[in-house]
Amino acid sequence: MHHHPLEATVERLCAVSQAKYANPYTAIDWPAQLDGDQWCMSPELISIFGTEAYMHLSAAEQRRLSFYEAVNFFSLNIHGERALVEGLARRLYRKGHRAISPYLHHFLDEENKHMTYFGGFCMRYAGKIYPDKKLAFPRTYAPGEEDLLFFIKILLFEKIVDVYNVRMSKDIRLVPLVRRINLLHHLDEARHLAFGHLLVQQIFQEYRQQWSDDTLHALRDYLSNYLVATWNEYFNPEVYRDAGLDDPYGLKEHAFQQPGARAHRREVTASCIRYLLATGILSEEPAL
Amino acid sequence: MNWEHNSRVQLRHWVLAKNGKIRPEELDDHTPILEQRIITSLQVMDLILFLEQLTGKPIEVEMLQPGAFRSIETLYQHFCAAEAPNGYQH
Repeated sequence: MHHHPLEATVERLCAVSQAKYANPYTAIDWPAQLDGDQWCMSPELISIFGTEAYMHLSAAEQRRLSFYEAVNFFSLNIHGERALVEGLARRLYRKGHRAISPYLHHFLDEENKHMTYFGGFCMRYAGKIYPDKKLAFPRTYAPGEEDLLFFIKILLFEKIVDVYNVRMSKDIRLVPLVRRINLLHHLDEARHLAFGHLLVQQIFQEYRQQWSDDTLHALRDYLSNYLVATWNEYFNPEVYRDAGLDDPYGLKEHAFQQPGARAHRREVTASCIRYLLATGILSEEPAL
Repeated sequence: MNWEHNSRVQLRHWVLAKNGKIRPEELDDHTPILEQRIITSLQVMDLILFLEQLTGKPIEVEMLQPGAFRSIETLYQHFCAAEAPNGYQH
């Protein structure tokens, strides 16, 4: 007999997390140096792929850019997961979250491990993490809205990341270490996404009727903008500067607007959009 | 070339372009751009990159106060006033 809609899922996911419990200090063999002749990011996932600036680079320069793109991708993951860990810790055993708290422990544990993988890569081989440019501004929320936004932002962020993880974990052109980090992340994320899909839907159904149309409209507007802002971070001028490219800010603007880049965003985000439309959280497809 | 005038004009153009709906006469240097939702919190990341490009200096987000983004006036005072690149006069 389950009292919380997610109780059965929580039990199942906890059992899998316990069975797959990983030691982050033995899960990865860190080479002293990366092989500079190999890719660190699948070329098709490089933010400026398809632009003239990219096509004019030599093969060696493209691979050098792929290293900084990987550092940016891992940095984005660290920032996303840091916010996630903060939010999960605040929600542990809070009223309304007690039934899911056993899984929140695993969620926290696994996200912390992911950050050690991503941080390990960035600090060992680049000596830095690209800084987070996001700022949080205080605001007021309708009942349930803050929780919904917290879990849905994480869900959307991780669904996009997971597409990249799956593709790169299978890409034999990549440095084995990079494939391994992407694979490890994907294996845990599959559970986090299953949890997130159900939890977000449950929160939305529980609170939707309490919200005014204005609140729902503002939420939908915010989520559409959030998806664009999330993609925006994949185009980092600091990456282009580190890779020795000219006019990094201009290149960011140009690359982001390219039809090929838009098509890529739509393709990778398709499952996010399907989910948001199917649950009624969005009523129309956002422009990406 | 006057740095202050140039940076205020560029900031104003950026805000008008990002919003896309507001008329130029509705925006002055003291209009609260976040409070009036002329710029959304999610667009602030873009604004930070624009300010970095304008001033040629990286911005450490962790050191910032939300008040820095209140208006074109506060943007100029926080990010541009002390940062005239070579070739500009204050």
